[in-house]
Amino acid sequence: MPEFANPDSRTPNPQPRLPSPGLYAALYRPPRPDAPATALTLIASDFSPRYERHGGDLVSIDVSGLQRLLKVGQGLPARIIADELARDAAARNVVVHVAVAGTWTAAAVSALATPGVTVVPPGDEATALASVPIGLLEKIHDVCTQSPLNSQKKEDTTASAYSACSAFKRWGLKTLGDLAALPSADLVARLGPPSRVWQAIARGQDVRPLVPALAEERFDSTIELEWPIEGLEPLSFVLTRLIEPLSTRLERRDRGAAVLHVLLGLVNRECHARRLELPSPMRDVRTLRTLALLDLEAHPPAAAIDRVTIVIDPTPGRVLQHTLFTRAHPTPEQLSTLIARLGALMGQDRFGAPAVVDSYRPGAFAMARFATEWAGEAGKALQPFLPSAIRRCRHPVPARVTVVDDRPVRVTTDRRGFAGGAVVHCAGPWRSSGEWWEGEPGSSTSGRAGKAGKAGRSEDFPHPPYPPHQPHLSSWDRDEWDVSLNDGGVYRIFRDRERDAWFIDAIVD
Amino acid sequence: MAMPLPRAELESLLRTRQLDRTLTTTLPTADETAVASTGIGPLDALLAGGLPRGHLSEIVGPRSSGRTSVTLQLLASAAARGELVALVDALDMLDVESAAAAGINLDRLLWVRGHVVTNPGMCRDMNQRALEQAIRALALILQAGNFGLVVFDAAEAPPDALRRLPFTTWLRLQRMVEGGHTTCVLVGPEPMARSSAGLTLKVGVRDWGSGIRFGHRLFEGLNIHTRVVRARARATEETTVALATAATNCA
Repeated sequence: MPEFANPDSRTPNPQPRLPSPGLYAALYRPPRPDAPATALTLIASDFSPRYERHGGDLVSIDVSGLQRLLKVGQGLPARIIADELARDAAARNVVVHVAVAGTWTAAAVSALATPGVTVVPPGDEATALASVPIGLLEKIHDVCTQSPLNSQKKEDTTASAYSACSAFKRWGLKTLGDLAALPSADLVARLGPPSRVWQAIARGQDVRPLVPALAEERFDSTIELEWPIEGLEPLSFVLTRLIEPLSTRLERRDRGAAVLHVLLGLVNRECHARRLELPSPMRDVRTLRTLALLDLEAHPPAAAIDRVTIVIDPTPGRVLQHTLFTRAHPTPEQLSTLIARLGALMGQDRFGAPAVVDSYRPGAFAMARFATEWAGEAGKALQPFLPSAIRRCRHPVPARVTVVDDRPVRVTTDRRGFAGGAVVHCAGPWRSSGEWWEGEPGSSTSGRAGKAGKAGRSEDFPHPPYPPHQPHLSSWDRDEWDVSLNDGGVYRIFRDRERDAWFIDAIVD
Repeated sequence: MAMPLPRAELESLLRTRQLDRTLTTTLPTADETAVASTGIGPLDALLAGGLPRGHLSEIVGPRSSGRTSVTLQLLASAAARGELVALVDALDMLDVESAAAAGINLDRLLWVRGHVVTNPGMCRDMNQRALEQAIRALALILQAGNFGLVVFDAAEAPPDALRRLPFTTWLRLQRMVEGGHTTCVLVGPEPMARSSAGLTLKVGVRDWGSGIRFGHRLFEGLNIHTRVVRARARATEETTVALATAATNCA
């Protein structure tokens, strides 16, 4: 153990100590796979509305004033309350450690350390915890310091608690009593300000107040209409009236809407229900109303409406920290509204974020959902040169190609906007095929050697009499050429080897 | 009693549009010098930093003139700065592999694909309607605000279809981007925004004979030039810059 100065003259009061007069109980359930997760919460809520969950195995309860309810007079209220808690747990077939103390920290430490029922007389917390092994600090540190209102940086504090416990063990400290007895000033000088918190825990002092859990509030609102309404414009006013107070309540509880349910009671006694999963938590009235209206535009009710109900599934609110050094992005509300409007205008499959797919199929791509929440991270690095781009004809344009000596010499088409002309330069052919293994009849031609066209003579390939090849639906087998025509354009053309037909696939631009 | 402003002073205010702005809108005064880098060094030098923010700009040129290569580079540059970008692809012709090869962070690209009828047949106005629908999508994106770059790509649209769009369309779009930091770029075969355009870049193959580079078995790229044909917000001494594209994949 390191040498410390005289503790009497230099021991400051622990900074984190907060006044916590009252009586607190703690229930700890040793981990068991068959135990229901809500058992402790049910016991706690039967005794007091002020309780705090610490994970699934530990709960702290504020039982101050409970002695008057239990009519225990001036006897030993802590013992009686502890026995009542143990009896209630036994009645529910839950094996728990019960502790009652003057601070919730002392109660929690005692419950974790000692099986059965433990009662710590108020004021004797430090003495009661003196024999608890020092290793318990690792388990209790997060419970005592991490408020459920602020669950960030948990990993940091867990790591620091672990390193501090290692230091205590190296010093030869074995119990919380050993730690409590150290002079605070010297402890802080060696391990920094957080050591005051560890010492306060060892002495059974609260480092933060108990934060009672609140029951989840239900966010719904209904209006009965004396005169049924038809059309979305009058419904817009009704929705605003319903959503506004809900939004205010969400804001008070620091919640956002994750799912918006719109339930419309119709005059034909049917219920028209719509469920909108919002891409990000939001509570802006205009945004929610607009999203609901856009959805109802796409899915209108079958009859007039005489009852409107809005139900919101809440989710924790969103905290945004903007940066000074990057330009602002559209807010999630703006993007959600934009996506809904684009969906109503263009169709849900016509917009999104493009994605490259792992395929050799020419022109293959995928569409991903466009995210609505963005951080300010930097993007990819730019190419050091200017890459040539092509414009893809989503449906290849049928073409007439004249081939001389296996090379295209003239490309024409009837499609408006593609004049065509004589080939000035050409490069190719490059053979590409794939997905012939999918079993489509007549498509197993991959790997065959050969060249496009017929050698030594000219041949015109007419338009195919059937619809254009669907590029995303079947196998492909083709010879591709890059050609520049005397109309000034550079094209990628290909000969479909299965159908012996030519197409314009893309324009180099 | 307030003294009447001298005529010269009034004309000065009208020129700088301060009077108009004060009387008709409450828009914040935009930074008239704000530009968005194109990511192409010589082009940035030509444009004194890049394309102006809060304006409609145009990239025009014939087929295979390098319009798409320049446009994808603009998108890549804006996305690399951490901005969100949007591409309204009126005729649904984006090649996603080309976009990835240009270095665009695809997650940051909102791609709106126009409804194009491959064979409109007798219904010749079907694709005109698709164009108008794409314009409405562009307006929605501009109204949402805070996109760094929004591109309206109608490069392969017939010029007469673009001319049939009402002139007020472009005035309305210009009004939407004005005062913000969004750069809106229209890509087409010829200038379309007319007096609403802030800057018009014309791109073309430098020399028809040697401008298209073909190797023995490969297409190698284009030698293109870009020229500022209209710049309302600034004047530049040099008006043309030469660029070269390089093929990253071949047929």
